[in-house]
Amino acid sequence: METKTISEGDKLTISVSGRVDTVTAPELEANLKFGDAKLVVIDLKEVPYMSSAGLRLLLTSHKAMAAKGGRFEIVNVQSAVREVLEITGFSDILNIV
Amino acid sequence: MTARRSLNVKVAVSVLVAFAVSMAFSWFLHNSLSERDAYALIDRAFANARAELTDCINERLVVQCMEARERIEDGHPDDTASLQALARELRVSEVSIVDDKGDIVRSSVPDYLAGPGRKAFNFAEADDKDANKMMGLIDGRYTEYCQPYRSNAANGNWRKFVGVWRREGGFFEIGLDGKALQSLARSTCVDRFRNWRVGGSGGIVVTTPTGLVLSDYEEPNREGTQFHEPGGSFYWKRGDIETFPVYVMIPKMSAAVQRDVLVGATALLNGAALVFVALLVGFVIAAFVRRQIREQEAKELAMAKDIQLSALPNVFPPFPDETRFDIMASMATAKEVGGDFYDFYFTAQDRVLVIVADVSGKGVPAAMFMMHAKTLIKSAAQTGKPLAQVFTEANEALCEGNSSCTFVTAWAGELNVNTGHLTFVNAGHNPPVVHRGGRCEYLKTRPSPALGAMEGVTYRVDDITLEPGDAIYLYTDGIVEQPDPAGELYGEGRLLGLLSRNVRQRGEILKTVIADVHRHAAGAEQADDCTQLVLRYRGEPDVVAHEYAPTLEDVAKAVDELTAALETVPVKVRTQLLVAADEIFANIVRYSGATRWSLSVELDHHPDGVRLVITDDGKPFDPLAQRDPDTTLAAEDRAVGGLGIFIVKKTMSPVTYKRRSGLNILKMGKDYGD
Repeated sequence: METKTISEGDKLTISVSGRVDTVTAPELEANLKFGDAKLVVIDLKEVPYMSSAGLRLLLTSHKAMAAKGGRFEIVNVQSAVREVLEITGFSDILNIV
Repeated sequence: MTARRSLNVKVAVSVLVAFAVSMAFSWFLHNSLSERDAYALIDRAFANARAELTDCINERLVVQCMEARERIEDGHPDDTASLQALARELRVSEVSIVDDKGDIVRSSVPDYLAGPGRKAFNFAEADDKDANKMMGLIDGRYTEYCQPYRSNAANGNWRKFVGVWRREGGFFEIGLDGKALQSLARSTCVDRFRNWRVGGSGGIVVTTPTGLVLSDYEEPNREGTQFHEPGGSFYWKRGDIETFPVYVMIPKMSAAVQRDVLVGATALLNGAALVFVALLVGFVIAAFVRRQIREQEAKELAMAKDIQLSALPNVFPPFPDETRFDIMASMATAKEVGGDFYDFYFTAQDRVLVIVADVSGKGVPAAMFMMHAKTLIKSAAQTGKPLAQVFTEANEALCEGNSSCTFVTAWAGELNVNTGHLTFVNAGHNPPVVHRGGRCEYLKTRPSPALGAMEGVTYRVDDITLEPGDAIYLYTDGIVEQPDPAGELYGEGRLLGLLSRNVRQRGEILKTVIADVHRHAAGAEQADDCTQLVLRYRGEPDVVAHEYAPTLEDVAKAVDELTAALETVPVKVRTQLLVAADEIFANIVRYSGATRWSLSVELDHHPDGVRLVITDDGKPFDPLAQRDPDTTLAAEDRAVGGLGIFIVKKTMSPVTYKRRSGLNILKMGKDYGD
């Protein structure tokens, strides 16, 4: 699993590639550093699937950004990931663009 | 049936007894009525006879008395001797003349007249009512008067006196003794009873006081002969009228005829009424009994149907862990209980037998024969004997004592679940449909005779080999012989077409067929049991299995190996499996305390499917028993625990958990494609 972070002013875009599961989630968590960014965008274009370990990271990130008045967005969700988000109800509470 | 017959006998006997009792009563009643009627008739006849005879005699005597008056008024001397001569001439006993004071002033009887020391007999002063009444002739109340025959007030002699009035006051009187009275009456009055009839053939007999018959009603008559009182063959009565003994009599025979006619008529009416009542009662009882029998039969049929259905295996899938084949079967029973059955069971570790059969006839006997046949075949087959021998032995057993010639057609196949080799025997049954290489056709072979039909038959087996994905469809004739309202049968052609068009339906095909058969029937009642069974051969699964340590490194290794094993699986199913597997792996590594765990990947075919079997030696944990998270909460309120299991339950089917030999064993899988 790899991540690539691009910062543009207050906006931080983190592109993830590879599966997000029990094995890779700790690595992803280590790379989710938002600093002073007001808007964080997670690009899941290259994520074929995600288990609840990944969902946990999305939820904690969403809560952390909300707590400091920022916004957390998820983009380019693939169908397998979207299915998991929908099953768990996360598609209703996260900002999926 | 015996109960019914004895009931009929009882009804008939009761009817006869009732009839006899009623007739006896009727006879007795009419007998006493006819006796009473006879005596009433006799009394009436007697009263009439008395009036008739008395009137006749009185009339004659008044005429005699008037003649005496005429003779005296015409100048006949009225001294005692002359009056005695006149009495003789007129054939009376006495003649007297009474003055206007009631005194006898002239008489043929000197005793009545005044003499020395004796007053004349006076009618007004006499201490005698009948004598006093004679005074009515003087005071003008009547012009003639007749006393009854009696002992008279003047001298006690028995006389009958008659008086007629006298123009210058007083009256003339004549008196007759018994002999004179009789000789007068005999010649002029008595014979008028000869033609009288009492009660049809009865009549009146008048005799002299000594018993000589004066008047007889019978022919030839007995007049002048001595009369004997009638005996017990008559209803009769004797009485004296004006000195004559009179007998009124009715032969009992005559009354009996009348009675018998009445009894006969009553018998006829009673008989008709009894027959009617008996028929009515019989009919009501018969209807009641028939209804009882019908209800009993319906109850027994319902029970037979229940027993029949409960004898069939009815849990599907029957072998949940079995992936090399699957079986689906159903029986749609007709209103009347029939003798269909289906059955399936392992006859060896790698061989499964399926059978569909149809017993001839219907009702409880067919259902019982079906149970017998099913049990015989199963117990023989489960000893591991070859199929041909099973059928040969079952046939011998079913022929034994089979006096009703009930037989059972059956098609049985024994599948080697590892190789797909199918051995089968057809005992006079409809050919099954086999689905092979993508097309359906009837598996027609020369059938052997039906079981129970003929002794000494050796059953022949045929065989085919099924490839993974092939299936065989068994049925009974209830399917193909269901008529439509015009009488056209559903038929083999329709069935084959329907199966060919729906080869992808698997177990659902059974409902599709029944629905189509009912559509064909177009509202008509299902004619017969419709029994179906489909056996699909799936073949051996491909299995990859590895054991792991409870480390993240080994989880990574397991994910890689799983990904490789699922290479041929469509990507959507593959990612669902990977996500679900990851959730279970995470639980084992993080929470279970297991020292080792394993993953086995089984790839099934026909239909294609994947099953993951994950075991660990950690503490017991049943993921299916966990509560589902509330997925409707806002982000701030959501926790992440429990989500993994929830995802597993939502995406995998079926998921099963077992704790066995200190291991948590979780199976989860997914079927896809054909």
